[in-house]
Amino acid sequence: MNHITLIWIIAEKDLRIEYRSRQQAFLTTLFFALLILVIFIFAFDPGSRATRDASPGILWVALLFPGVIQLNRSFQTEIEEGTLCGMILSPVDRGVLFLGKLVANWIFLVIIDLLILLAFVIFFNFAFSSQLLWIVLLIVLASVGITGVGTLFAAMVSSIHTREVLLPILLFPILVPIILAALSGTQEILIREQMQSLNRSIQLLVGFDVIFLAAGFLLFEYVVGD
Amino acid sequence: MPAQSHPLLRLSQITKTFGTIRAVWNLDLEVYPGDFLAIFGPNGAGKTTLLRIIASLTQPTSGTIEFTQKNSSQNRQQVGYVSHQSLLYNELTGFENLLFYARLYGIGNAQDRADEMLAKMGLEQAGDQLVREYSRGMKQRLTLARALLHEPQLLLLDEPYTGLDQHGSRLFTQVLEGLKEEGRTVLLITHNLGEGLALCTRAVIQHRGVLVFQAARQEFEKSEFEKLYFRAVEPGARSQEPGARIQNPEVRIQKSESRSWRSTVLMLVALSFEL
Repeated sequence: MNHITLIWIIAEKDLRIEYRSRQQAFLTTLFFALLILVIFIFAFDPGSRATRDASPGILWVALLFPGVIQLNRSFQTEIEEGTLCGMILSPVDRGVLFLGKLVANWIFLVIIDLLILLAFVIFFNFAFSSQLLWIVLLIVLASVGITGVGTLFAAMVSSIHTREVLLPILLFPILVPIILAALSGTQEILIREQMQSLNRSIQLLVGFDVIFLAAGFLLFEYVVGD
Repeated sequence: MPAQSHPLLRLSQITKTFGTIRAVWNLDLEVYPGDFLAIFGPNGAGKTTLLRIIASLTQPTSGTIEFTQKNSSQNRQQVGYVSHQSLLYNELTGFENLLFYARLYGIGNAQDRADEMLAKMGLEQAGDQLVREYSRGMKQRLTLARALLHEPQLLLLDEPYTGLDQHGSRLFTQVLEGLKEEGRTVLLITHNLGEGLALCTRAVIQHRGVLVFQAARQEFEKSEFEKLYFRAVEPGARSQEPGARIQNPEVRIQKSESRSWRSTVLMLVALSFEL
């Protein structure tokens, strides 16, 4: 069986389990993100210049923090019944296991992020224009890097009691380059409404995605190895 | 012990330490095709660590493991492992669990194989039921089905009777008797001397990481073995084997939650990078 099929088998299993568990993580994560947006609406005067200037930051706070909940959960279920051990026992390459978990996390995160973006556009009175498609592209690219390094770190802390605290402490500083690139791109689209320097953000995101994916693929064996 | 055949598995001078704790100490063991080897020993004797080493789930600190095939991924293909945990997804049905693992093992007709294993374990009626709705006994039989899916040459069973009621134990024993009749090679860890001795062709006692007794089943009586077992594992008992050299009497198995040194190093590298 080729690697792509195996990656999809692992990802499909995770998505099916999430669906069967009544979308617990999905609803929790979405609710948390909406709560963040609502708090910012109360904190800032909607329609004001300050709110407009802060909006890219608000969007990425709402996108990032709930994502950590999902990443934490992705290995929690594997540890509870020892199923990670079951997968490791199989002759499948550990890098393929990593990519399978990553694809499931990525699909999940992109779906949630798009719903958060929709809520953000409505709550903060932005127009539904074709420019939003560029933000979708930034979200899709940033999610690859976030889930890449997030899946690796989630596996690393999965059997530690304080994983909920430890994961964001480890994860966010590593994600700084991705966050900065995504934030800068979002500012170009929402505030300056210029696309000239957007290319640079996209190039940075693609670069970091490649680095994080390669690192995760190579290091996963050592994380789950012993 | 079928001395004329080539061993399926040979462990030579296997030692596994966790910091200052020695879980397995200079252990030599040969497993031959068709062996039903029961490993007895008190808690903390290093039995689970030994099975995890054989299953390639953990690396020994020193010593060598020789399988018929050398490649580690091929070794994994040769081993079926039943641990304390079920290794099953509660939110998938019994059939979906087997199908998932069959695909991971690259079994050609995965659906047919999953159906076949469900029937073999008497679970064909429960195949479409979510595993979280299974009784402990059903779950344990499905766990065994998962471990046997890929027709492993060596089956490792780590205390499979844990949590089973009498009915469940009897059903499970019947399944194991079937495996024995098929001539499968099995390593069984159990605290249940009666069940273990009834099934095994060879018995081993492991204590403080060391094999202190090893004999073919026909070479001893059950009552004789029981006396020997309690004498071997009683507090203060001194081993006859090389493990008598162990300095630290407190040989304990590392908790499964502990992280490996590699994970710890990776975390420290990540933290120092961030700082």
